[in-house]
Amino acid sequence: MAVSSSPLTAGSTRGPRKAGRRRTIGTGSWQGWLFVAPGLLGLILFVIAPLIGSLVLGFFNYSLIGGGTFTGFHNFVALVHDPLFLNSLVVTTIFVAVYTPLNILLSLSMALWLRTRLAGKAGLRVLFLIPALSPMVANAAVFRLILQQNGALNDALRMIGIGPIPWLSSGSWALTAIILVSLWQSFGYNMIVLSAGLDSISPDVIEAAKLDGAGSFRRLFSVTLPLLSPSVFFATVLTVIGSWQVFVQAYIITGGGPGQSTTTIVMYLYETAFSYDQLGYASAIAAALFVIIALTTLVQVWGQKKWVHYD
Amino acid sequence: MMLSLRVRQPRQPASAHGRVIRTLATGIAVGLAVSMSGCSAAGSATSGMSGKTVKMFTWVGNSDESAQWTAYINGGKLADPSLSVNFSGPAIGSYYTKLPTQLQGTDAPCIVTLQNGQLAPYVNALEPLDAYMKEKGVNVGDYDPSMIKQLSSGGHVYALPYDAEPMVVYYNKKLFAAAGVKAPALDWTTADFLAAAKKTTRNGVYGFAIGQGIGAVGNFLAANNENYVSNDGKADLSNAALETRFQWLIDLARVYKVSQPLEASGGTFPDIDEFGSGQAAMFINGTWDLVHEQGMIGAHNLGVAVVPSDNGQPHGSIAGTGYAMTKSCSDKKAAFAAIAAMTSSKSEQSVAKSRSQVPSRADSLGAWQSSVGPEAAAVVKVLTANGQVGATATNGNEINTLFTQYEVDGFSGKSTAAEVLKDVSAGLGQ
Repeated sequence: MAVSSSPLTAGSTRGPRKAGRRRTIGTGSWQGWLFVAPGLLGLILFVIAPLIGSLVLGFFNYSLIGGGTFTGFHNFVALVHDPLFLNSLVVTTIFVAVYTPLNILLSLSMALWLRTRLAGKAGLRVLFLIPALSPMVANAAVFRLILQQNGALNDALRMIGIGPIPWLSSGSWALTAIILVSLWQSFGYNMIVLSAGLDSISPDVIEAAKLDGAGSFRRLFSVTLPLLSPSVFFATVLTVIGSWQVFVQAYIITGGGPGQSTTTIVMYLYETAFSYDQLGYASAIAAALFVIIALTTLVQVWGQKKWVHYD
Repeated sequence: MMLSLRVRQPRQPASAHGRVIRTLATGIAVGLAVSMSGCSAAGSATSGMSGKTVKMFTWVGNSDESAQWTAYINGGKLADPSLSVNFSGPAIGSYYTKLPTQLQGTDAPCIVTLQNGQLAPYVNALEPLDAYMKEKGVNVGDYDPSMIKQLSSGGHVYALPYDAEPMVVYYNKKLFAAAGVKAPALDWTTADFLAAAKKTTRNGVYGFAIGQGIGAVGNFLAANNENYVSNDGKADLSNAALETRFQWLIDLARVYKVSQPLEASGGTFPDIDEFGSGQAAMFINGTWDLVHEQGMIGAHNLGVAVVPSDNGQPHGSIAGTGYAMTKSCSDKKAAFAAIAAMTSSKSEQSVAKSRSQVPSRADSLGAWQSSVGPEAAAVVKVLTANGQVGATATNGNEINTLFTQYEVDGFSGKSTAAEVLKDVSAGLGQ
């Protein structure tokens, strides 16, 4: 009986532990925050803080060397009356409006083509992706030489009786050249995204459509594309965001010229900030661009309800 | 009990959320403070120094420029054997874009290099050198006065020049001989220049390669003693001489067909490329480019001539570079000692012999003349005797950026020179 007074027995007299009171790793919300802290800290330090800092700078006449003075909304008001900014807005809008559909169309066509019974399609997929993986600056520098009046492209066109085309002397042709180079550079990425989307479509669904008598066009437009729409939406959103930020191609190939015909918003921002040392005004441009991109993306997200099918 | 739990459960997360929000807010505040202080807190106990080595930020676009800075440092060691300077930086095309960021960084360099006309935007981050010059016995009168004027502000000297070099016409002797054109005389005129350009334009080679930017027009303005910038740095883009010279430059390409029309291009030097690859018989650049061009087309093949003027009596357009000291430099005495050594007679004479750069000190010109041969020496003598460092616009970077973009419209025939200048003018001051 003495055994009954053992610690074990004595312990048992305290009654059962309340399981709900026990704190275990992973049940409290602070542990969750701990896990996301590294990423969150990076987001705060490298995205949110600079974003707020940039917005604050927009209210100053600020230069790196000379410091700054508070000017209120002056920079933002000046933007509306700045013909160079308005021009860059038009140039970038044209770029977005032309480049985005062409990019999606080209990458979708290539993805569909590479889905057919084609010999060496894995190699072709890699080949088309290479431009997207290579540095834009290097590509742009090469294209600058190719696009010159006496460059390789005009030489090639001359052989088939075309041109010479003033790729770098005419405003409209220069913007066309920037769009074409951007397409060459970037369609491979979307092609891979859309290829993955196509691969995820169940063959059974396509087969069922065939059995129902749907032809190839009907299958494409009534089955494949609706099922691919989430991937198309994803690619479109990212492409539009990237398009608004186009910079390197114009900076390297044309320097924004002829005139202001290829001066995009980011290029104008860059010139304002680092060539003219007007960081406050450049920050106002950055804020305007942020709003434009946010609004465009919101419109796309709102519009997806009408054409994106997740089932 | 259950009720109690239900009431208390939401409170605990709410409290945790509150803490998290406070932590986030603190984090953002600290982050902003850190980022803002990073923008403004230039300078530290070791700023601009690496041990006893002085850090210099300059343009280093190729091996030739790297060799130039090494030559000045080695030359400086002849005057001060303890001199220790290391240098780094981007190509000249992006140098002035990156300089403000460097000057405001937590480890700003002690020495930066500035070309004439580039002092004004950076003067607030630079240390006046007058007191250091007095203490070390450096006499400002030893340096080219026009360069000193360009590197001074508010009555203070902010940089000491190491060179004062005129713009010259480089020509390809082989292409001239093949076209039956004599070497340009020291008093050749604009008409002579055009005649030479016409004759050498053959077999896919252009007579003259036009450089990008308003400086290309400025060369011909300076040769004719004209300028569109007032002494207080205000540019007059409606200046008649500027318009006339620019239209003539456009006509070289469009009317006389002796030059390749300029096309849109970002940050390149098409004239240097054309001349160096033998696609043009002439182009204009400073004498600092002499060694580079000798390397490109061969020393025996490279000729040097004055920039032509209408009356055959050209005025030289002098350009040069100086070493400036940053305010944030942690060892200003060491930095100035380095500047003094690199601009000393011994250093400049050494570099004049090894790299043919026209020194900024009158006492070193003899060494340069004996090293470059009679043709270049005679050309530089004419140009410096009648030369000056032209005034540059305070908003020169902005003007040049816009001019470079819009001038293409002139060369494509879309606009006249006057229209291009009007477009540039309209784009300024936004």
